[in-house]
Amino acid sequence: MLRRLAVISALLGVAFAALPARSARRPRYGGTLRVEMGASLASLDPAGAGSSPEEVAALAQIGPLVFEHWGAVDTPVGAAGSGAFRVTSWEAGKRAVLAANEEFREGRPFVDSIEIVMGRAAHERLVDLELSKTDLTEIAPQDARRAAEQGVRVSASQPDELLALVFVEHDAPRTSGSIASGNAAGRAGGRASGRPLAPAKEEVMGQALSLAIDRVAIVNFILQKTGEPAGGLLPQWSSGTAFLFPAAAPSAADLEHAKELSKEIAAAGPLVLGYDSADPLEQSVAERIVVNAKEAGMSVRAQAIPGAGGGAEKSRSAALQAGHVDMELVRWRMTSPLPGEALMDFLSRIYAGPLAGIEAGALPETASPEDNYKQQRAVLSTYRVVPLVWLPQVYGLSARVRDWKAPVPGENWPLADVWLDTETPTGVQ
Amino acid sequence: MSYDSRTLMRPSRGLPLGIRVALYTIVLGLFLSGAPRVSYAQAPSELPKSWNDSVARLADEVAAAMSPTVVKLDVENISSLDVSSAGAIEAAVRVQLQRHSFSFAAEDSAAAQSVARLQLSLSESAAEYVWVVQIINDQSDAAVAPVMIVAAPKADFADAAAGARTLSLEKRFVCKQAERFLDFALWKDATSGEVTLLVLGTNRLTTYKPAGSQWQLSRTSPIPQAAPPSRDPQGTINLAEGKITVKGFACVGDPDLGEGVRCSASKPIRSLDGPRIDIPGFPNSLGTDVKGSCRGDFVFLFTAEGDRTQSDSIRGRLTKGIPLPLVPSGNTLEFDGPVMALHPDPADGSARAVVHNLKTGEYEAYIVTATCGN
Repeated sequence: MLRRLAVISALLGVAFAALPARSARRPRYGGTLRVEMGASLASLDPAGAGSSPEEVAALAQIGPLVFEHWGAVDTPVGAAGSGAFRVTSWEAGKRAVLAANEEFREGRPFVDSIEIVMGRAAHERLVDLELSKTDLTEIAPQDARRAAEQGVRVSASQPDELLALVFVEHDAPRTSGSIASGNAAGRAGGRASGRPLAPAKEEVMGQALSLAIDRVAIVNFILQKTGEPAGGLLPQWSSGTAFLFPAAAPSAADLEHAKELSKEIAAAGPLVLGYDSADPLEQSVAERIVVNAKEAGMSVRAQAIPGAGGGAEKSRSAALQAGHVDMELVRWRMTSPLPGEALMDFLSRIYAGPLAGIEAGALPETASPEDNYKQQRAVLSTYRVVPLVWLPQVYGLSARVRDWKAPVPGENWPLADVWLDTETPTGVQ
Repeated sequence: MSYDSRTLMRPSRGLPLGIRVALYTIVLGLFLSGAPRVSYAQAPSELPKSWNDSVARLADEVAAAMSPTVVKLDVENISSLDVSSAGAIEAAVRVQLQRHSFSFAAEDSAAAQSVARLQLSLSESAAEYVWVVQIINDQSDAAVAPVMIVAAPKADFADAAAGARTLSLEKRFVCKQAERFLDFALWKDATSGEVTLLVLGTNRLTTYKPAGSQWQLSRTSPIPQAAPPSRDPQGTINLAEGKITVKGFACVGDPDLGEGVRCSASKPIRSLDGPRIDIPGFPNSLGTDVKGSCRGDFVFLFTAEGDRTQSDSIRGRLTKGIPLPLVPSGNTLEFDGPVMALHPDPADGSARAVVHNLKTGEYEAYIVTATCGN
């Protein structure tokens, strides 16, 4: 015991010994921060910037740098240039240069300028990071481990994006009340067989899939351990109650139970699982679910759905209908680190989508952990939403980037706070 | 403060701060390992009131969900609560359940195998602590076991942890000037009692004598500058070790600068490059240790985490010297600009702060004193 404490104390002593060194890292002004992103923004006007999820996300990061505030619904507040940076060059969809605003009310940013290169593919961005041709870029979670192994400096947020399987809401309205009591005859849309899947059957199928899907394997093999298995609608770090929604690998008993459930449903062709055709992660997960479902005696077919382009939500919805898709993979990012606010946002999506027509239980404005737990339990008991994994936001950084903190949900990239350590070698130029 | 004026500015062979702190920590760790541990098992009332309320509510909900019986209470701490706090909460839960006529099966008894099991999980969300009790019967699946959940504020944790050892900070304004300076010191002649103010600028050391309510310039001695000059110059006056250091030079001389100062190039101090330990509550800001302890805890002062264009503050943090969090304690001192330098005073529990007042543009010297209160 004595020895252990002495060792611990020695380690702490070393940590404290580094205190002056850490404190001496005061920020420096100057330099150009080079940023690469996958999206191509036509402009900073929300109306003309594009509406794919990537473009919306990119706009939400660049917009707040230029405008004094960025409204909750992608709305700039104040004049362009009233933010930390001013646009000095804009080549639509290709490249932008922002210069530090000397008069910014919160203080001049540390870097002199930011050079943003748009439309770079994920693998190009990774290569540029490895060659130190860029300072900051987003990395797909499934690529994070490989990037780190290749020497890329990786920064990951808390897992704040839910990848879930949801049953597709078709056109016909449903009666309120328990989903299990829904009326199958009233449902339009359909399956590969052309026949609608009754809500009660969806519930059974959802439960069987939830039991059969190996979330741990998705995290370990597809995501290379960058993420967490998800059993609930909020991550543990935010809610503190995610452990009450088990997400362990299916046991033999789970698989047996899933088989029994699937036998209850008269098979009329495979269930169709839609995924975003532009998202390699969704594709890999969908294919994994097909395998897991087969192990439980269910027939599921993965189908790519176009998810990008103008009016993405609309076209995706149309594609889901046209493709006779029964369920789809969705990626939902938390809008706040606070569990009540994040859950409220998720619930609004759920009750507008997979649970449309179902009367939502009231969630108090200042929901307690118990309120949040009960709301999640109510949604998950329908099995129309099956959480799969929690994904972090992953960023690759060059060695010279300092004071970067991966933003928490609801925050923007802190590029006004970032400074460049020009004494750090940047590698191959 | 007491020191030998004859040796004031002589070079010292003393160990660098980091090594001293490391050694001190090792010694303290050894000391603590032999000290008896405080047990909260019999003292649930030591919890903050809000925590006691949460525990009582949890027990009420358990009592509402099941009839009083013999139970087995298992506890799992998956939060950042330390062992002693978790133990205190467990003890409080037991007491509250006993008040509802629950009793507990002995751990190794045969009865413990068959009684209802209460799983107490001490968890936390982004905003608060979350304490959960699941009632698990032999027949019931843990995944669908009845669940009772209460929240407890986190702020009370910091207050509770530091409640018995509150740090009180005070700042005392010393002087100000338009030109930037790196450090300052007050030196009192042991024989005459006369006070001298030493101000270390970027390229000179200046002494001042008191003249009424003002400081009057006494002497100035140039300090050589490294080439090229730093954009972020740093320097320290170390009265205890008898020297001043600026980047690349170590200087000695009489404290009244009667013969100026003699500087020589110094070797850069090698920082200890040991394993990095993540310590909860360790801010990414300017900080320093302060001599002395507060009821056995190390005392640290840290600035806020803003940049040099923002107002700043200094707050004390305490830690026991083993990998427990640095817990904020006591009041916060506010300043009208960034703290540019923060140096410990080895003689007492104080530190010297140089502040760039953004409102006036001047640089100000403060002595920040940390006092351990009740």
